[in-house]
Amino acid sequence: MQESEPSGVGDVASPDTERRAALAAALAATGLRDGAAFRKVYQLTSAKLFGICLRICGERQAAEDVLQEVYLIIWRRAASFEPLRSSPITWLATIARNRAIDWRRANGHPLPPPPDAEPRAAVETADDAALADVAMIAREDAHHVHRCLATLDRGSRDAIRAAFLDGATYAELAERAGVPLATMKSRVRRGLLQLRKRMTDDL
Amino acid sequence: MTSDPPTPSTQAAELALGLLDGDERAAALRRVLSDADFAQEVAWWREQFSGLLDDYPPVAPTTDLLPRVDEAAGAAVMPQAPRRWGWFTGGLVSGAVAASLAAAVMIPRPAPIVVPAPAPAPAPAAPLIAVLVPSNAGAQAPVAAWLARNDGALRLTAAVPVPRGRSAELWAIGPDKVPHPLGLLSATGRSSQLTDPMAGLKEGDTLAISIEPQGGSPTGAPTGPVIASGVVVMT
Repeated sequence: MQESEPSGVGDVASPDTERRAALAAALAATGLRDGAAFRKVYQLTSAKLFGICLRICGERQAAEDVLQEVYLIIWRRAASFEPLRSSPITWLATIARNRAIDWRRANGHPLPPPPDAEPRAAVETADDAALADVAMIAREDAHHVHRCLATLDRGSRDAIRAAFLDGATYAELAERAGVPLATMKSRVRRGLLQLRKRMTDDL
Repeated sequence: MTSDPPTPSTQAAELALGLLDGDERAAALRRVLSDADFAQEVAWWREQFSGLLDDYPPVAPTTDLLPRVDEAAGAAVMPQAPRRWGWFTGGLVSGAVAASLAAAVMIPRPAPIVVPAPAPAPAPAAPLIAVLVPSNAGAQAPVAAWLARNDGALRLTAAVPVPRGRSAELWAIGPDKVPHPLGLLSATGRSSQLTDPMAGLKEGDTLAISIEPQGGSPTGAPTGPVIASGVVVMT
């Protein structure tokens, strides 16, 4: 991960920067078996991680069961979190995404329908404290991948986004789009090649 | 009808996205183990795609799952007094008190979890970490410091603000209570290369950062204000 440029000397840290630092510190302390720190991690991240589980699992009950497992994993693995390798919220969100995908595939659960639009309504149901994490991922590479994806044709872009956000396989993407498997593979692979080029050129 | 064949890069992206299943996934995973370039490409894609995590809208869970997590963990995760995390929310704490609060984090207590964590491969020398509490805790959040002992690289999880024309200097304070200089923070305020990490910083020491004249303290002892400190522990 790249280091950000030095912000102006003596700058007051932005609220997001402070939240990121608070989360990093709480996660580090969780690694030392500090229950109160773990509670802090939960408070800062449960809405974000639940949003991930809900999107991938497609139903609330399953998503809550998966979320419970996710925090158990976090409690057990916090000591292996390396701040140099990833941001805390990326580390936590990746655990949630992987666990939710595992659950859906292990249970043979069908791919949930794609959300119609970005479901901002759901955001309104989360309280302020839970929203504290919303902007924590906001950083250069997030903008970068969004910017580069936006240059792809719509079919490739939607498929790649759905692959990531819904945790869909090729077979599921093909079924959802109503196209043959080979067509979907070609569509995604062409998109990925373009994306690779854009991201590298743009760096 | 056949599809475009995967290139190494698209295969890496497919694995990173989770698109593959069955034999294709197994083949890609084998390749990660046998082909370092491929493994690196998968890691690159993972990092890039992590930017999409932004797109998941947060949704509050209906129930507080912490008690269930606690129960599943088989022991008490919760009963630690949450008070000392008050400084996250901006409680004003003096430097000395803050340092002792940080020390409280380190008090060993019996491991409450029955199932051991899947142990990461033991590193030659486990990194040291410290949660540095700012002396002016109301204005700034704590920062975690991470020291790789094999090469002396020290990183902070957030930048420490350093006034223009000054340097931030790192100190180890051991049982003798005498601050020993460790080196300067980089211009980004986020990292340092310790000159002699093995001799300078040990578990149980206090790691402190002071603001010094450009280039570091002229006397070998801190001359400026200590802006953050915390006790060092081994991971």
